[in-house]
Amino acid sequence: MATAVAKKKKVRINGCVAAAQAAKYADVDVITAYPIRPYTATMMALAQMVANGELDAEYIVADSEHSQLSIAHGASSSGARVFTGSSGVGVQFAYELYSPISGTRMPVQMMIADRTLDPPGDFGSEHTDALSARDMGWLMGWSCDAQEAFDNHLLGFRIGEDRRVLLPQMVCQDGFFVSHITTDVELPDTGQVQEFLPPYTHPYPLDPRRPVSHGPQIMPEQGPPLQLERARAMEGAVPVIEQAHDEFARIFGRRYDPWLEEFMTDGADVVFFVQGAHAVTARYAIRHMRERGAKVGLVRLKTIRPYPTDRVKDALSKFKVVGVIETNLGLGSVSSGGVLYAEACAALYESPTRPLVVSFMAGMGGEAIVLKEFYWMTNKMLDAQKRGAIEKRTHWVGFEE
Amino acid sequence: MSTKGTHIPDWLAVPFAGITPAPSQERGQDLFPTGNWRAIRPVYRDKMPPCNNACGTNEKIQGYLDLVKRGKYLDAYALIKEDMPFPSVTGRVCYHPCEQACNRGQYDEAISIRAVERFLGDLGQALPRDVVTAGRPNGKKVAVVGSGPAGHSAAYQLARLGYTVTVLEKSPKAGGLNRGGIPDWVLPQDVLDREIERLVELGITIKTNTEVGKDVSWDELKKNYDACVLAVGLTEPNSVRADGEDKHGVVYGLPFLRDIGMGTSKVKLGPRVAVIGGGNTAIDCAREALRQGAEEVTMITVEGNTSEMPCVPEDLHDMVAEGVELMHGRAMTAALGNGKVEALQLCRARFSGAINASPIAVDRESPAERFAVDNVIIAVGQHASLPWLPDEFKNERGTIRIDRFGRLGDTNFFAAGDVVQVGSGQPLMVVNAVGDGKRVAFNVDKVLRGVPLQERMVPIDVITDLARMNMTYFPKFPRVRQAMLEPASRRRTQDEVIQAYSEEQATEEANRCFSCGTCNACDNCYLVCPEPCIVRSVRSNGLYKILVDYCKGCRVCIEECPTGCLEGVPELDFDTGVVRMDTAFAITPGLHGRQAEELRRLPDKAPKDIENWR
Repeated sequence: MATAVAKKKKVRINGCVAAAQAAKYADVDVITAYPIRPYTATMMALAQMVANGELDAEYIVADSEHSQLSIAHGASSSGARVFTGSSGVGVQFAYELYSPISGTRMPVQMMIADRTLDPPGDFGSEHTDALSARDMGWLMGWSCDAQEAFDNHLLGFRIGEDRRVLLPQMVCQDGFFVSHITTDVELPDTGQVQEFLPPYTHPYPLDPRRPVSHGPQIMPEQGPPLQLERARAMEGAVPVIEQAHDEFARIFGRRYDPWLEEFMTDGADVVFFVQGAHAVTARYAIRHMRERGAKVGLVRLKTIRPYPTDRVKDALSKFKVVGVIETNLGLGSVSSGGVLYAEACAALYESPTRPLVVSFMAGMGGEAIVLKEFYWMTNKMLDAQKRGAIEKRTHWVGFEE
Repeated sequence: MSTKGTHIPDWLAVPFAGITPAPSQERGQDLFPTGNWRAIRPVYRDKMPPCNNACGTNEKIQGYLDLVKRGKYLDAYALIKEDMPFPSVTGRVCYHPCEQACNRGQYDEAISIRAVERFLGDLGQALPRDVVTAGRPNGKKVAVVGSGPAGHSAAYQLARLGYTVTVLEKSPKAGGLNRGGIPDWVLPQDVLDREIERLVELGITIKTNTEVGKDVSWDELKKNYDACVLAVGLTEPNSVRADGEDKHGVVYGLPFLRDIGMGTSKVKLGPRVAVIGGGNTAIDCAREALRQGAEEVTMITVEGNTSEMPCVPEDLHDMVAEGVELMHGRAMTAALGNGKVEALQLCRARFSGAINASPIAVDRESPAERFAVDNVIIAVGQHASLPWLPDEFKNERGTIRIDRFGRLGDTNFFAAGDVVQVGSGQPLMVVNAVGDGKRVAFNVDKVLRGVPLQERMVPIDVITDLARMNMTYFPKFPRVRQAMLEPASRRRTQDEVIQAYSEEQATEEANRCFSCGTCNACDNCYLVCPEPCIVRSVRSNGLYKILVDYCKGCRVCIEECPTGCLEGVPELDFDTGVVRMDTAFAITPGLHGRQAEELRRLPDKAPKDIENWR
């Protein structure tokens, strides 16, 4: 059992440590780890906590991410609360396990600190690693700072372990921009966490006293009912997510919209549609442009699975032009850029007042999206608004006039 | 909400996340009938163990070893008695072809089957009542001529079938070759006596001192009995066709042993004895000669070395241990002496391999040797004496002409044992005579019941070889040795040379059995099956069942079957009891798995809705 923390306190930690702290507050039973930067910092922090006796958990260092997730799967099947994590190609190496874990309805929590895939395989953040697993039945969303990361991890356990849901969660944060930038984080009182997050129990854990078979091989026609039930669980998570956020606000005093954050959208004609850390820069740029009269705002997607289709439709229909900041790679996709564009467009398709949608390939390779790039993108959106048509679906920011 | 308005029909309903109750022994993986993935079906098929096959009477050796291993001695005894009327005898005297065939012999050491058989035979001897009972009398009478191994066996089996059996024996005591051909120190007389008593207990009448042709005529046999089995054996010793064979001091092997066995021997051996012959009788004679007081016993064989001798190697070894000398590559060409044999004339000789001429080629060129002796025992085989046999039933070799069922023409006369086996290529051994007697008895029964006859020879089944088996499961373990009297102490006494197994020894030895090709309830398949597809009500031979609804044909059980009993049979070889791949995809409710009993049989044609769909 986790050692008690007397009461709320403010600390200065980065996103990785915030994730580790959340795991500690959630009193996880099993941690499975395999090092890959930037996630490694989370693993290190947890190792220290276990070593110091701050956290009583099984800490298993696997021999690869594949094993890491396999062990997480097994541990979760036995009824343990399991925390794991990875980055970049590590996320990909464990790919095989994502469907089985959600298929057996094991609410494993996986922290992802995004890292580019190869190439360039660098330390910086692209969301492609986690987004490539977006349809595997995991709840998924991005945090934009360390505090939100901490909170999302607690929320993740609460939602995923709900009997109406029982799905694993990928709680994502941008590598470096969140994972390695130190900010103020308010850590809660243990009592608050206990109130928010009841102990985890699985309805049918592997237990020799009550033997059951998990993941038996089944007949072809028995697959669809299970898929349908997984789909129901994903959709059934929607009210649970909303309730959890309400509860969270009541207990911890921080209220998040579970789906979308709108920033300076009042009277906006054009908006950025973004997820993750670049929203922080975007807010600054928008404030600056607003001061100069540009009617620009920001809509941040907080939860991508389940996708808040109607919320996206309603929110984005208010504007003339939407600029999707991808920070992911969808080669040969609808927009021939990233994968977020298609989902936004699909959500908007039935809107009678649908805006123009344009996609920006920005922040690739883990590069920061600098202010002048936001200005450039805003100009592209304003041009489209003026002309009533987009110039093209995807702009490669930094490579065009 | 894409899932809004969806419902899962009852017949497809699965538990939460497919998590199912643990499969049970009875029902396997009940929810998910994955049997239609299978291309190979594991099938338990007991195959012939090599020991059973090699045995002259096809004793269920693997079967009784298995029972002994489990401490079920009485069951084991009853099993052996199906094929062998006197295991206490063959447990002592048999040349155990089973042990030569034993697969374990290629691995470490063959199972000491004979010793276990003797353990069971002695157990049977000690029973106040035998486990075997006579069949319900059917009112038919059968005469068996001769009470040796074949006659004993035939009489025994016929009595079990309900016939009124009369055994006619010309000697004063029943037993035939068992009595007269096997020395006391191999087979104590009281053991044989007890087995003869068992025959009487079955209601068999044994008329001793009754010789066919003298006391009973052929026509009387024909008239007084519904059928007759001639098991008269080979009673007359062969001559070596040497000069002076009629001299005093020259005796023949079988009469020599027989007279000692019957207690009528008048032979007094001098200090130097030569035994002519290299077979089992010659060995018995040489060893008996020591016990009858001879000082120097020399065995003279035409065979050029011991490995050519047609005998049981371990008996030869024991004989040499007792001090009998061997002289190879010689034939006796004359007995020299004045009225009484004083020396032998020996010539260099070898087997020529000739079939029509004499098989022995004597080298007349080399100088003959003189070998001083006081007695010579000639043991070079026997032949039949059948003066009473009508000529129409005589064959060119002077023995009984029988068909392949052991029958004399279309009469109700049958013949069995050495008298018909001689020259057939079959070994002239006790166990082979027993087997022949048994098979002929069954044919007598068939003739009298008017049903088709069976061939005398047993067809060869699939013999299990080591390649079929999984040796991983068998640690190497030496055989349990039977204690023996030391050569120095045994060579002058009639005490039994080879000692019996204790219960512990018998169990330990039986436990070494591989159970080649035959399920012995080792439980391995049951344990290794990755899905509980193998069920059993109790752990017992042959009670394992594959749940074909679930078995995916992964072959683990087949590969891991230690005995090779489990085989993989292509699924297409079955025409019933299988869900085929083309029915796996449910088109209408109930078309899959458990719910569709009818689909476990192949449909004559495609279901109607499939046709419509096309």
